[in-house]
Amino acid sequence: MWSTLVSAIGFGVVLASIIAIAAMGFTIQFGLTNVLNLSFGAVMTVAAFAAYLANRHGVGGWFGLLVGGAAGAVLTLALGRGVFKAYARRGARLFEMMMVTLGLSLIINYAIQAISHNNIYQFAVLQSTPLQLGSILITRTQLVIVFISIAILVALQVLLRATKIGKALRAMAADPDLARASGIRTGQIVILTWLLSGFLCGVAGVVYIINSQSVGYTTGQLFLPLIVAAAILGGAGSPVGAVLASLIMGVVTEVVSAFGSAAYSTVAGFGILVIVLLSRPSSVRGGQAGHQQLTL
Amino acid sequence: MTAWSYYISTLAVYFGVNVLSALALNLQFGFAGVVNFGYIIFQSVGAYIAAVVVLGPSSGTFQQYVFGARLPFPIPLLLATAAGAVLALLIGLFTLRNIRRDYQAAILLILSLIATQVVQGYVPLFNGSNGLTGISRPFFSSLPLSLQGYQWAYAVWGLVLCAVVYALVTWLSRSPWGRALRAMRDQEEAATAIGLNITALRLQVFVIGGAIAGLSGGLLVEYISAWSPDAWGYAETFVIFTAIFVGGIGNYRGVVLGVFLVPILFLELPRFLPQFGYPGLTDSLEWVAIGAIWMVCLYVRPQGIVPEKRSIARRRGAADAPVGEQMEAA
Amino acid sequence: MTLLATRDVAVAYGGVRAVNGVSLELERGESLGLIGPNGAGKSSFLAALGGQVPLAGGSITLEGHEIGGLPAFRRARRGITRTFQMTSEFAHMTVFENLVTAGHGAEGSSLRAVVLRRHDTRRAERDVAARAWSILDRFEMAHAADMYGSELSGGQRRLVEIMRCLMREPKVLLLDEPMVGVAPHLVEKLIADLRSIRDDGIALVIVEHALEVVQELCERVVVMALGRPIASGSFDEVVAHPEVQAAYVG
Repeated sequence: MWSTLVSAIGFGVVLASIIAIAAMGFTIQFGLTNVLNLSFGAVMTVAAFAAYLANRHGVGGWFGLLVGGAAGAVLTLALGRGVFKAYARRGARLFEMMMVTLGLSLIINYAIQAISHNNIYQFAVLQSTPLQLGSILITRTQLVIVFISIAILVALQVLLRATKIGKALRAMAADPDLARASGIRTGQIVILTWLLSGFLCGVAGVVYIINSQSVGYTTGQLFLPLIVAAAILGGAGSPVGAVLASLIMGVVTEVVSAFGSAAYSTVAGFGILVIVLLSRPSSVRGGQAGHQQLTL
Repeated sequence: MTAWSYYISTLAVYFGVNVLSALALNLQFGFAGVVNFGYIIFQSVGAYIAAVVVLGPSSGTFQQYVFGARLPFPIPLLLATAAGAVLALLIGLFTLRNIRRDYQAAILLILSLIATQVVQGYVPLFNGSNGLTGISRPFFSSLPLSLQGYQWAYAVWGLVLCAVVYALVTWLSRSPWGRALRAMRDQEEAATAIGLNITALRLQVFVIGGAIAGLSGGLLVEYISAWSPDAWGYAETFVIFTAIFVGGIGNYRGVVLGVFLVPILFLELPRFLPQFGYPGLTDSLEWVAIGAIWMVCLYVRPQGIVPEKRSIARRRGAADAPVGEQMEAA
Repeated sequence: MTLLATRDVAVAYGGVRAVNGVSLELERGESLGLIGPNGAGKSSFLAALGGQVPLAGGSITLEGHEIGGLPAFRRARRGITRTFQMTSEFAHMTVFENLVTAGHGAEGSSLRAVVLRRHDTRRAERDVAARAWSILDRFEMAHAADMYGSELSGGQRRLVEIMRCLMREPKVLLLDEPMVGVAPHLVEKLIADLRSIRDDGIALVIVEHALEVVQELCERVVVMALGRPIASGSFDEVVAHPEVQAAYVG
């Protein structure tokens, strides 16, 4: 009983680390641009496939993270500057932009389905023997994933709190007009945000398939609910909040599935969503949303 | 010849089902501004309920499900409608609170993804991934009809339901209640400032749409005799949305045309193309194309509400005529 | 009886007090101007009256009944209605429909009334239409009855908002910067319109930056700074007040 709980928490932390990497990427772009980007999961899948293909051509091991990260960054920037901006010029606002990201996710997801022949592919890299830490059975690879997640959090905090770019980024998230008026090069900051969040998105996709050892066209899409819920629960634009929310969701999901079944764990995910709705009424409030604008 | 007749009558049933869906979504989205990205959940619950109350008590071996019963037509359809409404009420009660519209939409989409996983994961509910099969068609053996005749009779029955629902939603949309919905859609704060309870309005429109969705699910499942999670992926909702975009948001006649163009014509035409690629490739490409149409519609009309007609107000003298006397817009 | 009274009304946004202890009274047919520098909390106070933001403290009574805890739509049903700084016409509805929607209100446009009391609804539809026409005539907007909200000029939009409020037959009308977006040559007409509304016995609370508008329209003026009232009286009295001059000059 006790050991089941502890090992479930262990798995939960690993899952949380993966969610957290994606949620940090999501929350940075969401906090700055206000785009509720539902194509995030699709981009994760693209990055995962990029790493898979790179691995088949000999670029293996942890280099896959860089390949996936680069793929995510480039694709996200292309979508942000190419597609989203064009729609914003046409007069799309918060809600319409969410619809745009949804259309993109349909296109990307099903294009991958077409290209991948709707198959699930084995991705057995970086397999390592499990270590026994008390009642937690964890592989070396999973430990590294947890550390990567922590490292990203630390690096992001340093970037946001201690550098000029980070200050500019936070100023823009708070008030884009004021930031522009005070001489911040907002265009460059937006580009940087797309690249950074796209990179994290890609890394998350690769980390996910390293852990699950398989990749298919639904890889990112099935992960999307957890990411969005983590970003909303943690507060838009807050990496620390995203990580804490990811921890809650990862641990709850794994504990529930250890004691119940996989079906119950999705119900638990559902329960967390309810809590999200009930717990953050001010940030998710309607009405004032009309005054929020896109920053692209 | 008979194959054609079978095919066309089947398309007519699908057309009816999709028109019901489009009417419900157009009422919700085009008139009330409520974005139901989880529409397929409500259609699906209607289908499951209609199925289990026809299948009889679950034997527990061949397929497992809840609420097994053997009820006569039209009770399964009525229960399907009620199931859609009840589920819409439950989900609406906490998703339709005062939250940002894009969050609301995202949450319904997420629910749609989760619902599929729940039904797949919890087999005793509706037989998991394998789904339910062997649902008998109403009056299939008791009517003195050939298979052809039955097919067409069912299609006509579906279209009759469409006509009834069409009359209902257009009437409601033109009523003072429909105007209140449009006011809420255009300006929520101002709508509350004239005394409208927008939470209640949203919930009402959500439940009515849920009922229509449940009905459409019942109509479909009694025809195709089977229902499984493959039939209701989250993306199915977006086919109907695309039909609405193509037909013109808020425009009921246009929406019916949109259903004819998108789910029927566009998604059926590829069957007549020579087979290419591996099996399933055309399905994937169709979805990509749906996404592309979706993007084009958003680009052409980024905030596109296109009311069917401008309602021209009549002066006092014509007091016998209703206020919203319709005229073609210039 | 006093129509509207507030006691120590406070509004807070995440710990920051935008309004802090405003108490005032308003009589039928009175027009009250709220002025003060940017960030003084005028619009927030108006939102507190209308129910758009929750109270962080204090109470509001309408004809002796506490309404401070009611949501906006319930206050509207009791007779407090408002216009918004950004005009809030229903953009994809005609001017006439804008008015008729407000005329039916929540009761007349409820699903129950529409479905179960069809005869009453038809009669109400005629009555409401007649009232809408008379209000359109009064404000010389009958020619624009069939135009969509989105096709109107700034001044016309403001008028639509005000006419829509009047369809509710309100007791209190809250106006948040009514002259914003109104062409200069129409300001005089709008002032005259508002004066005639006041003369009907409707109490007005007006937040306005253009002081000459307040001077012409309001018999009583409250000056706010940093969330508090710092002076109150006739326009001439308050502008002479040293604290007011200090607040404006900064």
